[in-house]
Amino acid sequence: MNTSQKTVKLGAIAIGILLLLFLLFSFLTEPSTNSPPPPKAISNEKPAGGNFTLTSVNGKQSLTDFKGKLVLLYFGYTYCPDICPTDLGNLAMAYRRLNEQEKSQVQILFVTVDPARDTATRMAEYTRYFDANMVGLTGSEQEIASVAKQYGVVYMKAPTPSNATTENKNYTVDHSAFTYIIDKTGVLQTQIPHAMSPAQIQQQIKTYLTP
Amino acid sequence: MKRTLHNAIFTLTLGAMSTLSATHALANQADAIQVSDPYVREMPAGAFATASFMTLSNQSNQAIKLVKANSDVAKITELHTHTNDNGMMRMRQVPFFEVPANGQAELKPGGNHIMLISPTKTLKAGETATITLTFEDGSHKQIQAPVKSVMKMGGMDHSNHQHH
Ligand SMILES: [Cu+2]
Repeated sequence: MNTSQKTVKLGAIAIGILLLLFLLFSFLTEPSTNSPPPPKAISNEKPAGGNFTLTSVNGKQSLTDFKGKLVLLYFGYTYCPDICPTDLGNLAMAYRRLNEQEKSQVQILFVTVDPARDTATRMAEYTRYFDANMVGLTGSEQEIASVAKQYGVVYMKAPTPSNATTENKNYTVDHSAFTYIIDKTGVLQTQIPHAMSPAQIQQQIKTYLTP
Repeated sequence: MKRTLHNAIFTLTLGAMSTLSATHALANQADAIQVSDPYVREMPAGAFATASFMTLSNQSNQAIKLVKANSDVAKITELHTHTNDNGMMRMRQVPFFEVPANGQAELKPGGNHIMLISPTKTLKAGETATITLTFEDGSHKQIQAPVKSVMKMGGMDHSNHQHH
């Protein structure tokens, strides 16, 4: 082995040791930094529910406008890549399987938890996609927060990763993903969890439609 | 003697530096992975992101990590997971998906997915996205994922309940 080869070898060893030290160091120092924000509690008690007034593309709308209908209320946002389209898709599927008479007694409402980006127009465009006579509702940050509180909905902007560089538009929102079933008199009856199948939702609708 | 020791350290160091990659004795990881039922979810007009789902089957005796995905239909492609934190759905980027030895990893709604961010256009059912998967050893696999509508797929309802 000649000298230059030896130098290369020693160099590689030095780099290797430095790398190992660096890895060790980063393991040791990691835990204190970067801890996620403490999760807000989702209450296990049934939320109070109740009336609210928000804005659709056709102007102000209140829950009481839908008196006489079974209301399926969902909170999410249009930039939601997976959870909301799954749940809204399943709700829409369930709705579309109802007969005409049942359909006339059921209303799906979609309330945004991201009013900064979700305008009434955007909500209308988005809900139209699901082809289930859905109404999209938005409001001021404060109005949304107060409706969310009534229904025990929890949401917060996710800590944004690398891809938020260009415009600050790429944030996602963590949110609870229940569907609230409100009876024909406006009383909250139950909440059903994320990813219920259309058949399961249809069953729930039937249960609460029959007096 | 000293030389042998040097050689040993050298080998170990190189091993540490290259971690687990590029084990020449094995066939490449992409060849050991089979992809079934890939699809991309159709998106409502103007959506900012959508997701791709599929099942990855590992036909080797070693766990394989999918470390990266790229697509021709999105500016940014990331590996994501969801956690259901007492009803609170949190979506986070992850560095890899692991496919267990002789096992499967299922990418599905509400769980692990390949997130397509800032799509180059609104993806509609009937179109196809090309997705390139990169594994830990650097090997690639290219797949064609059809775009499917949540509604036409029956959402997450697997009861084969069709109205025609
Ligand atoms: Cu995602």
